[in-house]
Amino acid sequence: MKSLFQVIIRELRRLAPDPLVWFCIVVAPLLTALFFTTFMWQGLPTNMPIGLVDEDNTPTTRQIARNLDAMQQTRITANFADITEARRAMQRGEIYAFFYIPRGTTSLANQQKRPTISFYTNYSYLVAGSLSMRDMRMMSELASGAAARKVLYARGLTEQQAMAFLQPIVIETHPIGNPTLNYNVYLSNMLIPGILGIFIFMMTVYSIGSETKRGTASEWLGQAHGNIHRALVGKLLPQTVLFLLVGALIVIWLYGYMHFPCQCSPWTMMGVMSLYVLACQGMGVFMISMLPTLRLGLSFASLWGVVSFSICGMSYPTMAMDAPLQGAAMLFPLRHYFLLYVNCALDGYPLMNAGLHVLALLGFMLLPLLCGWWLKRQLLTVRYVP
Amino acid sequence: MSQYRFRESLSDFAAIFMDELRTVFRDQGVLIFFILVPLAYPLLYAYIYNNETVREVPAVVVDEGRSQLSRDFVRRVDATADVRVVAHCANMEEAKKLIRQRRAYGIVRLPRSFSADLSRMKQTSVRIYVDMSGMLYYKAILLACTNTSLDMGAELKVMRAPGTTEEQDLVTQYPIEYRQVDIFNPTAGFASFLIPAFLILLLQQTLVLGVGLSAGTARERNSYAELLPLSRHYNGLARIVLGKGAVYLLVFLWNAFYCLFVVPRMFSLPQIGSPTDVWLIALPFLVATVAFAMTCSVLIRQRETVFMIIVFCSVPLLFLSGVSWPGWSMPKFWKVVSWAFPSTFGINAFVKVNTMGATLADVRVEVISLWAQAAFYLGTTLLVYRNNIAAARRRLSEKKLNLRRRLDSRRFNAQSPSQQ
Repeated sequence: MKSLFQVIIRELRRLAPDPLVWFCIVVAPLLTALFFTTFMWQGLPTNMPIGLVDEDNTPTTRQIARNLDAMQQTRITANFADITEARRAMQRGEIYAFFYIPRGTTSLANQQKRPTISFYTNYSYLVAGSLSMRDMRMMSELASGAAARKVLYARGLTEQQAMAFLQPIVIETHPIGNPTLNYNVYLSNMLIPGILGIFIFMMTVYSIGSETKRGTASEWLGQAHGNIHRALVGKLLPQTVLFLLVGALIVIWLYGYMHFPCQCSPWTMMGVMSLYVLACQGMGVFMISMLPTLRLGLSFASLWGVVSFSICGMSYPTMAMDAPLQGAAMLFPLRHYFLLYVNCALDGYPLMNAGLHVLALLGFMLLPLLCGWWLKRQLLTVRYVP
Repeated sequence: MSQYRFRESLSDFAAIFMDELRTVFRDQGVLIFFILVPLAYPLLYAYIYNNETVREVPAVVVDEGRSQLSRDFVRRVDATADVRVVAHCANMEEAKKLIRQRRAYGIVRLPRSFSADLSRMKQTSVRIYVDMSGMLYYKAILLACTNTSLDMGAELKVMRAPGTTEEQDLVTQYPIEYRQVDIFNPTAGFASFLIPAFLILLLQQTLVLGVGLSAGTARERNSYAELLPLSRHYNGLARIVLGKGAVYLLVFLWNAFYCLFVVPRMFSLPQIGSPTDVWLIALPFLVATVAFAMTCSVLIRQRETVFMIIVFCSVPLLFLSGVSWPGWSMPKFWKVVSWAFPSTFGINAFVKVNTMGATLADVRVEVISLWAQAAFYLGTTLLVYRNNIAAARRRLSEKKLNLRRRLDSRRFNAQSPSQQ
């Protein structure tokens, strides 16, 4: 017990004066939390610029344009004389989409000859493209509907009957957990823990790897009486405490201050976050055990941390990836955190419904028990080669 | 005289260039970021996003009416590429259980009155409940159901309005037809959207990491922990900065060729820009990034610092470029912050030219900004290197002075006993 205490004191003396350590453990994770949440403060982008090519330019088409402008997410910022001009504006990034009403639309509609209007969306900007597509499609439906309703009213149908005729089947959507389709909820909930994970990997690798680099590994192990597990616990405990605090602050920020949906008790998310922090530390120990040179260990940590974002399935579903990647995703703590977050905070199911992922995180946490002896051997034999 | 000086500075430049080239290719850590990561990472990411979009999202159906029409609706939803019906449940409880077990991501619920409503000319509503863990599930299920409802609705109208011709019915339904055209990324795919931006970001991040790592090594190797060695060739500020910069530029011209031309071709990503225009963007982007990296590298005291500071920035930088979150909705403050990084302009210019086929004239704002950044960061690099060299000289002369004093005193001490 006394030796454990000594290791802790030694570690505090090593780390506390280094500003880089404070940057990585406290400043940067909290700063990124602030960054992402303020960056997507709006939740859903509004007033995205779109263009209009109205070759017909009659009261009817102007009415369509006015309706389109009234949509919440898009705003007509420019009128163009023809498609080429609109396309050029799109290529310059001035507009995300444009509406095209060809010459003769009104007269064809009056003759009941079914003219076609089109909308062009640019999916090079996926979010902007999908959102403006939704508005434009709705608008086109309405434009068509408005014209049709007039005919039906003229035939003596009531409004209800007319609507039933025009749109017999309505789709009512119920997005579970995130009813406003808030992108801040959707992305910040995962990006912030992802960044925290990168720092935990790196700090764990750094604090162990710097012992070999400075040639102090045997001193460190000596203080723990040669017991690698005691040495590891003593070394990582100060960081664990700080990271747990930062994790708790993030949970408070997301669910307490930002009021992101949290169907479970905030304590459950605190628990999930704490488990994730410990799992990342376990993974970090594994990384430096496998690649015991500081720079290789750090490269491993950074590459693993960055790939986490893509493979965890937050933006592009893991389900849609090739089978080997679906398996590989299990090797990333962020993947399990993601599934636990969805299970608890978003859907409000009991924690044990995703018990397997709790076990997986525990497994990551206990990895040092498996690779400890190997790490010890490496620490005592590997010489630092610059 | 001037010709002699020119020749001297040229030979200095060459010496510094060769020196740095040797350092880069001998340093395992630098090589990882200069060669290995730019080579392998695009392949990994393209592999992850290669399927472009999610297909056959599993959904369950709760059909309360079980009529011919409702079965028809379900069959059509199942037939779309977006959704696969994995189970028919008797009630919502059962369906929710499947969602909870993650065997399905959405519920399509048809009311008991589905068929009756339709035959009584009443509007009926189909409810969909979607798991929001991924926006793409939502999009897939919503799209499949909306398309089905529009198709089926159109047919119903035709059936139920007797005494009219088909053409008349069509007119009643859609007096104005509409058509959706997806341009530049016609499959609305994830890879086509994300990978081009990712490639530019990768170039910047690996360059900054590599240069920082090399600076860290230089300091650790140097016995006085200085960034630059004090050798015969290392005088003349411009020679030093240009000599080192030329090495980085050379390595990354190759990387840029691989990332910006070979990778999109390999994974058949959109690539409709003119190659000349792409190079005319890549060049200022690389020059700006090299200068940016060299300015930052002065801050690096230890090799490891660079990982801690640079790696986590990748994701925020991607957002700052405005490709994933629309730039128009970005808070002003973060927009101004984004102008500090070459990746912001590089990504926008490359996406516009490569993916959307814009010409150089269309992206002149970005290109001019990149050149401005190049000039600015070159200036800062010269400045910080000058300070660095001056400080190093000062420290060295102090050390020399200390040494001389110590030697003098030792000599004095050595002499004094003999005098006695």
